[in-house]
Amino acid sequence: MQFHRTFRRLSLPLALFLAAPASAFTACQITDTGGIDDNSFNQTAWRGVLDAEDQLGVSGRYLESEAETDYEANINSLLGGACDIIFTIGFLLGDATQSAAEANPDQMFSIVDFAYDPPLPNVLGQVYATDQAAFLAGYLAAGMTQTGILGTFGGINIPPVTVFMDGFVYGAEYYNDRHGTDVTVLGWSPETREGLFTNNFESLDDGRAFAQNLYDEGADIVLPVAGPVGLGSAALANELGVDELMIIGVDADLYETDPERGHVYLTSVVKRMDATVYQVIERAMAGDFSGGVITGTLENGGVDIAPLHDFEAAVPAELMAELDEIRAGITDGSIMIGGQ
Amino acid sequence: MNGAETLQRPNAAIDLGARRRTRIVGAILILLAAFVVVVLGDAPGDATFRLSRPRDVWVLPDLIVPAQPFIYIAAALTAFLGARQFLRGGGRWTTLSLGLGLGLGVLAFLVWATAGNAFSLTGMLQATMVRAVPIALGGLAAVMCERVAVVNIAVEGMLLAGAFTGALMGSVVGGWGGLLSAVVIGGLFGFILAALVVTYRMDQIIAGVVINLFVLGLTSYVSSQVFAEMRHLNNAPVFRAIDIPLLSDIPVIGPMLFQQNIFVYGALIMVAVSTYYLFHTRNGLRARAVGEHPRAADTLGIDVYRTRYLHVTIGGMIAGFGGAWFTLGSVGRFDENMTGGRGFIGLAAMVFGRWHPVGALMAALVFGFTDSLQQKLALLQTPIPSEFLAMAPYVATIVVVAGLIGRARPPAADGKPYVKE
Repeated sequence: MQFHRTFRRLSLPLALFLAAPASAFTACQITDTGGIDDNSFNQTAWRGVLDAEDQLGVSGRYLESEAETDYEANINSLLGGACDIIFTIGFLLGDATQSAAEANPDQMFSIVDFAYDPPLPNVLGQVYATDQAAFLAGYLAAGMTQTGILGTFGGINIPPVTVFMDGFVYGAEYYNDRHGTDVTVLGWSPETREGLFTNNFESLDDGRAFAQNLYDEGADIVLPVAGPVGLGSAALANELGVDELMIIGVDADLYETDPERGHVYLTSVVKRMDATVYQVIERAMAGDFSGGVITGTLENGGVDIAPLHDFEAAVPAELMAELDEIRAGITDGSIMIGGQ
Repeated sequence: MNGAETLQRPNAAIDLGARRRTRIVGAILILLAAFVVVVLGDAPGDATFRLSRPRDVWVLPDLIVPAQPFIYIAAALTAFLGARQFLRGGGRWTTLSLGLGLGLGVLAFLVWATAGNAFSLTGMLQATMVRAVPIALGGLAAVMCERVAVVNIAVEGMLLAGAFTGALMGSVVGGWGGLLSAVVIGGLFGFILAALVVTYRMDQIIAGVVINLFVLGLTSYVSSQVFAEMRHLNNAPVFRAIDIPLLSDIPVIGPMLFQQNIFVYGALIMVAVSTYYLFHTRNGLRARAVGEHPRAADTLGIDVYRTRYLHVTIGGMIAGFGGAWFTLGSVGRFDENMTGGRGFIGLAAMVFGRWHPVGALMAALVFGFTDSLQQKLALLQTPIPSEFLAMAPYVATIVVVAGLIGRARPPAADGKPYVKE
């Protein structure tokens, strides 16, 4: 009885607190294990929610997943009407999102990097033709390397990671075809689907060790596709100097989000999750939300490579012109990535 | 039943046991040789190991190994060792033979994977050392605690606390200040653990887990709430490698041992000092007595509580130093849960190293070697799936330890609280 009364006393302000933000629309985000401040993947998606807070007046909440076992628990804790739409960030949350969506058909969900087949009526998947942007990065890197060797490594061998590595390798190969050069990419083979993986998205010192490994084998430009782990690679490049090692960032423009080491990033393969998240919130608020997929491409600006910033002067104008040409070629379909 | 017979019987039992072990080892080696020939036998081309790096003073030519002949020779040697063990080997040679056989197997595998290709052997060995450091320091911290019978599951949390403090204080007052603060914070958590388990006799495992969860939660919170806003608090300098004159120019092992940062040198020195302390000084003997038989130690006038407090705090300081490696010795910034379970691997290294500082270092090096080996193999595009390669460090550590080290015995009173009468 005592307990009951205490509980009720507590729960009244709690309910008020939950209702207090009083904005018409609440968008909730569940991160992957990289955390909300990973300078990359989860942070970019969260920026979409923050933009919507500023411009559309929604209120945003997020929950971080410390481990893969947290996914379901985190989704469940946001169910029950507190959120108008729940964003689950990342391919690894695919199964947890599906089971929650099927159990709660009235709750709107949107997942990044996952497309359901067949589509679920209450889940909108956000997918990205990242290989298009990574293709440009691979071409640029192949044009900039001094040693003729590029390197890449990934977090886990899953499609949203390897799609970067595919595009990067194909871009370098396309450069070889055009210029008769022999630039090789270490760390990923699109044919065997095997390569170099840290098997986590957390250990920054892995990023350093893996970049060192590639550097020891002669690579002078490295593309780490492992969220915050790539920041460790940037630390190595910072120590060695950009004449020895350059890094290509992923997801966000790391020149902006990692300003202390910004000068080591040749460019970044940008996945505009903030834009698609914002777009989904807009749609949901307007009431024309439906299940299915939206795709970010070079054409609609959903993916791209970041500005060169400090390397602006170092990259030859010819190479930039070729990149523009390739961008047009990918958009109009005359260049097929990986020859498909 | 005369006296001589009763004396002989245990000897006979030992002989039988040793002979059986010898036979088993012999059979394993013969099987290994067969495996090497059948599975790895087909390796056309040469395996090239680059020994020098572009800026080395003494440039060595690449080590070029004709793959197929090497693999057959390695298999033949392994088979010879196995047959010798199986037929007439003595107990003394068993461990050595197994070690040699496994080593040859690993070499054959390496040559097979590299056939027709090349990689930097020097780089791999240097990485071995770097990857071993946090594990060795975690293991050493655990050794200091368990030698006085306190199980320290909290090594992981202490590493994380050290990493966090190193990044924060390193950003504010510079590298050395950050390192010192990390050591102090590590020591503080050691002291808290000692207070919980020695004075309040809390279950040692629970106390360790509580510290781990507390540190993980607190540092993740500050990282996402404070560091995300105030980036200058999470931008610490990194201790760079210091070349030791002359020694660092030695080919291959020079870069591995003498072109490293202070954390590597520090770890090696600490292992040496703590070995000397534990096994060759009076205080070390007292500490071990507290771990083996606290009642007896107490009777002889050793202050059991004080000894435990002291050593657990020192263990915490070592873990704090090891934690600072993640930020001040590697990447210069903190990120949530960046130690990624290395403390737990350190605990395993302690067990594998039989509660001995040098043993823990060796186990950490085995782990570091297979870890950097699997990275090279992933680059060489062997037909082995990357997930299996990622398992290799753990599997190798288990095989080496189970095969070569055998049964390990923890300190007798390990994990038990002591109640003074």
